[in-house]
Amino acid sequence: MNGQTATKTTNQIILDGLWRDNPIFRQILGICSTLAVTNNVTNTAVMCISLSLVTALSCATVSAMKEWTPKTVRMMVQVLIIAFYVIIVDILLRAYWPDMSRNLGPYVGLIITNCIVMGRCEAFAQSNRPWPSFLDGLFSGLGYSVILMVIAAIREVMGMGTLAGYPLPYFSTQWDKWVIMVMPPGAFFVLACLLWLCRSIGIKGKKS
Amino acid sequence: MKESRYFAVVYMFVLTAICSTLLIGLARLTEAKIKSNAQIAFERAALAVFPSIQVQSDAEVHSVFTKDFTVPMVSGDAYEYRPGGQLAGYALPFEGQGFWAPIRGVIGIGTDLQTITGIWFYEQAETPGLGARIVEPFFYEQFAGKQFEEGLRPIRIRAPAEASDKDIQAITGATQTCVRLEKLLNDAVTQWRQKKEATQP
Repeated sequence: MNGQTATKTTNQIILDGLWRDNPIFRQILGICSTLAVTNNVTNTAVMCISLSLVTALSCATVSAMKEWTPKTVRMMVQVLIIAFYVIIVDILLRAYWPDMSRNLGPYVGLIITNCIVMGRCEAFAQSNRPWPSFLDGLFSGLGYSVILMVIAAIREVMGMGTLAGYPLPYFSTQWDKWVIMVMPPGAFFVLACLLWLCRSIGIKGKKS
Repeated sequence: MKESRYFAVVYMFVLTAICSTLLIGLARLTEAKIKSNAQIAFERAALAVFPSIQVQSDAEVHSVFTKDFTVPMVSGDAYEYRPGGQLAGYALPFEGQGFWAPIRGVIGIGTDLQTITGIWFYEQAETPGLGARIVEPFFYEQFAGKQFEEGLRPIRIRAPAEASDKDIQAITGATQTCVRLEKLLNDAVTQWRQKKEATQP
């Protein structure tokens, strides 16, 4: 993403992940899961926590192993490490939170192919030490989570009239529920509007 | 040495072996738990179709199920509910393709083979907010007390505007889910009733 990553301070890593290099509205990565799991706040939250942990741990592991990993197979190694953590999350959910595992269905497994995880491993962890890589993964994951939670809240309130399963006063009664918000295309509209909003704010920030 | 071709192969091989071993270990450790989760989900469904049963915890569900339900001899047959030895109804498991993924559940049938005592879905992945609302009380509670109709469609799910008191009201916006659900329920019920009538003297 940028050339001087090796000298980034902790604050820069946090700010980049959450805002300046935000995976969703700056790099436009990981959009598939944005569409799939964001019509319900609870499911989205679990998905976000899983993704943030997987990204952070994968980045730390990739970084710790970079000295021994031959360059020719580094991407295979990354995918292997990512898959390893994702399967752990999947097994733990199935064993200890079966209801949530049923709700998320195949989407937990699909974290393996989420571009954010591999993107951070390749762009940052490959050339940085484990602890900064862990932070970078964690805050990229959280940057993704913030946007996803906003999309999920908008979709759930407008589409179902509830928030995290609890009926809201006005939306569950008088509000004419928007079916499109529940369907995957609803996420496109919400995402596009958020992109527009965040980028406009970003441009203003740069000018001043 | 790091750049050698053989080292890369050996490195990948060893790393894969380590990761797989750890994951197999974890899967083994949690295997029993995952299986019992699935079993409890099914037992809960079988109990839920009889409104007279009131249970909460997983332990209660399991003890009532093992005490009052008899497992069918052949697969595809119904579980018999016999509280205190007296037959009180049948719990018929059903499954079939929904709109996105299989729908699995249990339907409760009274001893007259005519009345539905209740229905419960324990696995589905229909569209959230539309088809997935089959698991909400407003929908599944409609089944309790309904009588089977004559013919090949004993259960009828119809659009709210067309539905009579004997029909189940479909969910608006979830036509595909309702059509498939009606078909798979009717298939299961019809097959079971034909078998039941054939074996009865």
